[in-house]
Amino acid sequence: MRRFLMAALTAAAVGWAVQAQAQDKVRIATEGAYAPFNFKAPDGTLQGFDIDIARALCDHAHLECTIVAQDWDGIIPGLLAKKYDAIIASMSITDERRKKVDFTDKYYQTPARFVAKKGAGIAISRDGLKGKTIGAQRSTIHAQYLQDTYADVADIKLYDSQENADLDLTAGRLDLVLADSIVLLEGFLNKPDGQDFEFVGPELKDPKWFGDGAGIAVRPGDAKLKEAFNKALAEIRKDGTYDRIDAKYFPFSIY
Amino acid sequence: MDLQGFGGQILIGAGLTLAVAALSMIFGLVIGGFGAAAKLSRRRALRGFADAYTTLVRGVPELLILLLLYFGGTVLLTWIAGEYVEVNGFGAGLFALSILCGAYTTEVLRAAIQAVAPGQIEAARALGLRQPTVIRKVLLPQVWRLALPGLGNVWLVVMKDTSLISVVGLEELMRKSNIAAGATHQPFTFYAVAALIYLLFTTVSVIGIALLERRARRGLARA
Repeated sequence: MRRFLMAALTAAAVGWAVQAQAQDKVRIATEGAYAPFNFKAPDGTLQGFDIDIARALCDHAHLECTIVAQDWDGIIPGLLAKKYDAIIASMSITDERRKKVDFTDKYYQTPARFVAKKGAGIAISRDGLKGKTIGAQRSTIHAQYLQDTYADVADIKLYDSQENADLDLTAGRLDLVLADSIVLLEGFLNKPDGQDFEFVGPELKDPKWFGDGAGIAVRPGDAKLKEAFNKALAEIRKDGTYDRIDAKYFPFSIY
Repeated sequence: MDLQGFGGQILIGAGLTLAVAALSMIFGLVIGGFGAAAKLSRRRALRGFADAYTTLVRGVPELLILLLLYFGGTVLLTWIAGEYVEVNGFGAGLFALSILCGAYTTEVLRAAIQAVAPGQIEAARALGLRQPTVIRKVLLPQVWRLALPGLGNVWLVVMKDTSLISVVGLEELMRKSNIAAGATHQPFTFYAVAALIYLLFTTVSVIGIALLERRARRGLARA
């Protein structure tokens, strides 16, 4: 009985390994709460700029991809645990993250900005932010920047998703939110509940905090997948696919 | 129900909530049956095991049990298999809720069994009935009647505790409402809808339990 079980298990394992080799199946994680880059549509499907880019890359690299939603907090641990093989979720390429994962070339780059209630008259400086409550999404470059720059003068509140930070800004619990400018513009300011709010202060893009644009994260040492994505990225930049996707979401180029 | 297009997703979530609750209750009843039998057993080891189980599970917050099983389960299975094993939200949630429900059901059933007057069992034996017949014809109908109010409570708790599974990513009613609230920036609307759906489920349950209790009490003199 035991021998039979062992044989069956071995056969199953071999069969599985052979199948895994036969087709290049790639599992891609995204967050699904970061409009317009990635979000859940009312029908439950994942949509957005990241998703379209991911599909285009898989197409060009001849990979069979499945895209899954994963909460932002656990998105890198999940990659390292082999829950999926790549992260395409607007993740900024930073030195901090490079210690844990490998990144492809950037696939877009946009500055960060503060948003506050219209006419609030808040100056973005250490004096101007004294005593203010500022929100950002946890484990992001924006959270890191706030902690490093304003933690001693302002009250910083971190949220599990950008959507929840926006909600608390609308509810009046926050004076400001710091996030990616495009996410704030398309995901908040251009929506009905964001109409009383506006950008304040300059565009922030110091690479020390804001990295070198958004890249695709793969497990360290997974050079094959990284190269496949880089090659496909160069192709869709050249053949106009990238520009078509860009134009679908934004009136300007975000590359 | 449209709700900016999210109505369908909310309904799917509600269905999943019902499914998880019902399955957990069924598994919980089975566990509870064995648990109660173990608690009333003559063997000390069995009694000790059942006592440890109910003390532990009833003494730790539900959310903590779920997180322990979800994350711990992944680590444990991965360690055993030698490669990454996915523990999905449905499996972990169902397992956690069944264990939880089982602990409470154990106590409810034990109390109900002990509440049946010992004289009845002795009388049945004196009539020459065999043990299985005694259990089936004398003990169980009364245990059912005595346990029903307690089991009804457990069912309501299990139904609401399914919302805890949303934290491990299972897209049941709570999680779906959360997603819709985030996407539309209308938390109050969607949480209110979720609350109404839970209330609908529990209200129907309360009525159902009352009917079952009346049926179980039939033939019994009312005070």
